[in-house]
Amino acid sequence: MFLTGYGKAARKRRDRLATVVIASLAGFVLLVLASLMTYIFVQGVSAVSWEFLSEFPRHAMTEGGIFPAIVGTVYLAVGSMCISIPLGFGAAIYLAEYAKPGALVSAVRLGVANLAGVPSVVFGLFGLSLFVTTFGFGRSLLSGCLTLGLLTLPTVTAAAEEAIRQTPASFREAALALGASRWQAVRQVILPAALPGMLTGGILALGRAAGETAPISLTSATAYSPALPDSPFNEAMALTTHIYNLATNGSDIAATRPQQFGTSLVLVTLVLGLSLFALVIRARLRRSRRW
Amino acid sequence: MVTTEEGGGKGAPSPEFRDAWDARDSFETPGEEEPKAVIKADRISFFYGAFQALRNISLEIMADEVTAFIGPSGCGKSTFLKLLNRMHDFVPGARLAGEVLVSGQSVYGPDADPVDIRRRVGMVFQRPNPFPKSIYDNICYGPRLVGVRKKAELDVVVERALRAAALWDDVKDVLTKSALELSGGQQQRVCIARALALEPDILLMDEPTSALDPIATSKVEDWIRSSGMTIVIVTHNMQQAARISDRTAFFYMGELVEFGPTLELFTSPRERRTENYITGRFG
Repeated sequence: MFLTGYGKAARKRRDRLATVVIASLAGFVLLVLASLMTYIFVQGVSAVSWEFLSEFPRHAMTEGGIFPAIVGTVYLAVGSMCISIPLGFGAAIYLAEYAKPGALVSAVRLGVANLAGVPSVVFGLFGLSLFVTTFGFGRSLLSGCLTLGLLTLPTVTAAAEEAIRQTPASFREAALALGASRWQAVRQVILPAALPGMLTGGILALGRAAGETAPISLTSATAYSPALPDSPFNEAMALTTHIYNLATNGSDIAATRPQQFGTSLVLVTLVLGLSLFALVIRARLRRSRRW
Repeated sequence: MVTTEEGGGKGAPSPEFRDAWDARDSFETPGEEEPKAVIKADRISFFYGAFQALRNISLEIMADEVTAFIGPSGCGKSTFLKLLNRMHDFVPGARLAGEVLVSGQSVYGPDADPVDIRRRVGMVFQRPNPFPKSIYDNICYGPRLVGVRKKAELDVVVERALRAAALWDDVKDVLTKSALELSGGQQQRVCIARALALEPDILLMDEPTSALDPIATSKVEDWIRSSGMTIVIVTHNMQQAARISDRTAFFYMGELVEFGPTLELFTSPRERRTENYITGRFG
């Protein structure tokens, strides 16, 4: 063909240029991430020790550990999932399997998408006025879990709906053709196939819940607690609010810098660990099935 | 696919058809005994929203015969197949007019139970679609739905279904293996066995070999020819229709153009459009 050679050199040059630009942008992002992680690690690693992880804070939080904050964050993250997973999975099943296209479904889906974009401090304020004040739960783990549950609900719902939609339609057809009712097809065939993807979304939301500051500082966090919470109606410490308190209004902000970074290191490790865990699950399941 | 540019005149079947027909061994032609209609479709029209996919189709499927639906893509043959066991129930905007009777019972009447109908009218799909479960659990899916729970009973069902699908010898030692690890042809026969486990009266097959290689295709075709069941098969492959079916229906643009014994339809089609299609003038 006589057009084959036309503009070939220019095309090649542009192609090379584009590759270089895109690669360096990606490299820059990676560099930012890596320097952030390195900085936190270098600054915080000296503070982290077994005592730091397992002891209560002492001397107005200038010494000792962050054990109650770790426990509080775990309670909040797990508790919020107990709320957002049942609600989110239910909504996702409805949206993906039952809802007929129409105004209502579009409204629900729009709501889910917009809810995900609401700043977390607004969720905090909402939780403060609804759970803490109106329902009278007070500043407590319960109020914090409910608030974080609502906060993560859109993430959980969207991820679960996507996972359900990705199960092949042929599974549903096969089950129905064998005389399954709609719910039987969903429960026995579609959900087992979609569950790994749904749980991956759940774990990522768990990481998000663990990393939130504003909502829990408004609804459940206490700066210092001499004991672990023994009821959902207790206040609790949390890693994020602990960092915030030490860095903004601690008794000796400069002296506790290592603790601030040490706590950050623990928090980031926790969140990254959860994300990695989710990635590993997803990768393993991708390998084990071939549809 | 037949691609002969200059097909023979009326009454002269293409060489491809001859080959396909000759490949049949000791295969009864229909009409030797009085055939009994097991499915009766009466003046069926079908709509997806405003689009009319089927126009006023009446058709009878005979018991213990293989009936093939042929026609170009989008002609309505798969749509018609799927309405025989109500697989359109969950498609938004799908609407049907007319009546379908299976063994004398209305499929769309007010008393009809779609779940019951799907148990009596089994279906095998275009792509093998085993569940991501073991071979054993795939076969057991239908029987478990109707309440068969005892291991001993399920064992019997599984063996019978796999033997019926000519797969028992291949997989009897690996029943706990995931069905997804089998070859495409074996997967499709697992799907056939899974449908047979419910002992349906009729088996619908929607282009069951279009995703299979030639060897797997011939195994499935062998099974169809030897099964003795009432089978309705949609195929885009005319030679396949010639090889395995007793009767053939030709669909074109939502209409049933011609329906008759396979030999007649391929050797002396009554309709110009049928002749054009089977001689490859359009497709």
